[in-house]
Amino acid sequence: MEKLPLGLALDLRKVVPYKTGSWRTLMPVNIMQTPPCTNSCPAGNDIRGFLRVLAEKQDYEEAWHVLTRTNPLPATCGRVCPHPCEAGCNRRDFDTPLAINSAERAVGDYGLEYNLKHKKLISKRKEKVAVVGSGPAGLSCAFHLAKRGFQVKIYEANSEPGGWMRYGIPSYRLPNYILKQEIDKILELGIELECNVKIGVNIPMDHLTQHYNAVFLGLGAQMGTSIKIPGEDAQNVFTGVEFLKLINSGQIVEVGRDFIVVGGGNTAMDCARVAKRLGANVSVFYRRTRVEMPAITAEIDEAMEERIMFRYHTNPLKIITDEDRVVGLLCEQMELKEPDASGRVRPVPIEGSGSVYPADTVIMATGQAVDYDGIEIQKQNDQWISTNENLMTSIDGVFAGGDAVLGLETVAVAIGQGLRAASAIEDYIEGDVESQLAPPPVIYSKDLNTYYYTHEKRFSKKAVSIHTRLKNFREIYPSIDHQDIIKEAERCFSCGLCFYCSNCYMYCPDNAVKISPSTGRYEFDLDFCKGCGLCAKECPCHYIQMTLEK
Amino acid sequence: MNEKAEELNRVEKKDLFASGHRACGGCGQALAARLVHDAAGENTIACVATGCLEVFSSPYPDPSWRIPFLHSLFENPAAVASGVEVAYKALKKGPVNIIAQAGDGSTADIGFQCISGMFERGHNVLYVCYDNEAYMNTGVQRSSFTPYGAWTSTTPMGNKTRKKNLPLIAADHGIPYVATATVDDFKDLQRKVKTALSIEGPKYIHILVPCPLGWGHPGDLTVKICRLAKDTGLFPIFEIIDGKVTNVQKIPVKVPVEEYLKPQGRFRFLFKKGVPTEEVAEIQKIANQNIERFNL
Repeated sequence: MEKLPLGLALDLRKVVPYKTGSWRTLMPVNIMQTPPCTNSCPAGNDIRGFLRVLAEKQDYEEAWHVLTRTNPLPATCGRVCPHPCEAGCNRRDFDTPLAINSAERAVGDYGLEYNLKHKKLISKRKEKVAVVGSGPAGLSCAFHLAKRGFQVKIYEANSEPGGWMRYGIPSYRLPNYILKQEIDKILELGIELECNVKIGVNIPMDHLTQHYNAVFLGLGAQMGTSIKIPGEDAQNVFTGVEFLKLINSGQIVEVGRDFIVVGGGNTAMDCARVAKRLGANVSVFYRRTRVEMPAITAEIDEAMEERIMFRYHTNPLKIITDEDRVVGLLCEQMELKEPDASGRVRPVPIEGSGSVYPADTVIMATGQAVDYDGIEIQKQNDQWISTNENLMTSIDGVFAGGDAVLGLETVAVAIGQGLRAASAIEDYIEGDVESQLAPPPVIYSKDLNTYYYTHEKRFSKKAVSIHTRLKNFREIYPSIDHQDIIKEAERCFSCGLCFYCSNCYMYCPDNAVKISPSTGRYEFDLDFCKGCGLCAKECPCHYIQMTLEK
Repeated sequence: MNEKAEELNRVEKKDLFASGHRACGGCGQALAARLVHDAAGENTIACVATGCLEVFSSPYPDPSWRIPFLHSLFENPAAVASGVEVAYKALKKGPVNIIAQAGDGSTADIGFQCISGMFERGHNVLYVCYDNEAYMNTGVQRSSFTPYGAWTSTTPMGNKTRKKNLPLIAADHGIPYVATATVDDFKDLQRKVKTALSIEGPKYIHILVPCPLGWGHPGDLTVKICRLAKDTGLFPIFEIIDGKVTNVQKIPVKVPVEEYLKPQGRFRFLFKKGVPTEEVAEIQKIANQNIERFNL
């Protein structure tokens, strides 16, 4: 035995430290929970993921790849999405939510500017899938299938792809060249596109079901419905859909001086703002009030900024014509009574309140429906396609999604549906039952320790002045500075994911939080952790949680 | 100058006070001891009085100390540290950081005359007081740092005297550096330790260290309680450099003392069915006096 110095009975270098981990009753674990932004995003985008990449690495390229894992159209969504993610953001209870929408646009624009390419997950499979309609649902479904190696062909009835994004959204909200570049990127994955082909008219539906392993119907709701009032067949009376399609196909419409839009949805807002840019004197007639308007709030705000007149409680009764041209609109006033089936208050006419408004053009933007010409399929309420929970329709192997299934919704919802349909189609072709793991629970403000965050000003995008923007159809929000967005990304709370604040590492009284030499992340040394819970309490983003000892 | 400021503000983690000690879960003193010694670095001698810190960190054969450690009696860590400093001088060795450290009982009551002597003789020693506001090691007896109204085993009806203000007493010895700190702001604490060690002469740092056992709060609240002590004004954070109070940490949002008292078992009897008694008003008065005095 080695001789020890005087007074020592044990060699201290050989003593194993006392493992205080045995005292523990609760143990800390890292749990990556769902942040509220992703939870409220209809497309399921990894918002925290791309914002953290921006904040930590200032790497727009990686951020673009994170974002396009779910959403193939970031530059488009960054412009037109009503961003429910921002309403979900936990920062709203602290100061103001993050400008996620602007960040998405900046990342999307970066992808277009530097021509980044989508990556394929699986190189090639022999199965073929037909996608009908190249709107957001169809494109998203085709994108996700093509990434998984399927051979996809898109059939589009119009002469250019994009669906309602191309023919419905005016170019001051979404310039055509942005949409076109994004669609080209999707098609580069090896997707075939055939335009000017209407399924059910040019090619029968049976042809698709016979020649393809699966079919996805992303028909959209591109048929305007009217409320059937006398005088509707007069010249210069359009449905909202017709009017926008004409404008977005580059045709000239003589709108005259007085322009009346009937309806309160997004199509109505778009028609009104387009007409304002064409120099008309525009009013929007709606039979309820602003609160009940189904349009996106920001759209209504911008329309109001642009001096568009809103007449509430006004219901058209008759279009007054002279020699087959519109000259006026007879309306009556309504009052609001108890809610109807849709939950909105029910308007009831007031007797003897009829009055005539002069009009040169009338737009009936009162509803949209699916164009079922030549497609036989089971419907719900005689209106929308009915599907099961895997988005499969009454025909085996035919899936559907987007507005044609859900009614009028947003681009992001359609993209989310496309993604869901793509994985359902994959499972259908492979004959698998989808193993759906429940997503981890969502983090809310009450779970966070906001002491460690500082108040910062929210990024706000600057609009072109109203005077300038009404002169042309150019985008009303000019491009966004990349540095501003990185600063904005640094505001992200990173709910439910470590952002290396080092609190756990510094506060552990037992030094039981170590930096892993392999990953560089913080990890628990359970030999010494006494389970006091200090790290979990002081973790700002609720990434550390205490659980029962295993 | 910037480099020096950066050096002072850098957070240190060297694990010189290692895992495996027997402190309770969430112990503020264990946390403070690690932060202090990591800031001081390897070239340090720790002179520790009898007390919790010595008991839980130094049992043979596996002490937590990775630096030279000298255990002294309850009353004399300051005297022992003075001796170490003089011995280094006599042997013409050094320089070395000498940190005398003890709990509040040893500092304020039993060892006070040794500390006063050390300050008066002007030894180049940093004295760190881990203030957990009672004799926790022996079973929560009252010390002269026990705050007004607190329960201890010797003041079952609540303490009737006010806390001794040792930082100011130390400063009145004319020593060059006095500071107060808590464990919640580790950056500030480590900066103060490094600043103190860069100054020649006797220095004093007073650190508030919550004791989950003696204060009666869950171990995970250690840091939060410290923060509340600061934000209520009950524990002012300041430095005294050459007799002048400077770097007073302002309270961002003032918090009523109830917030601080309620999570702690030792103050629980001050609330009758949730309604604060007169003592709470008295504690609020102490907090307000602190706020006024130090302009928090």
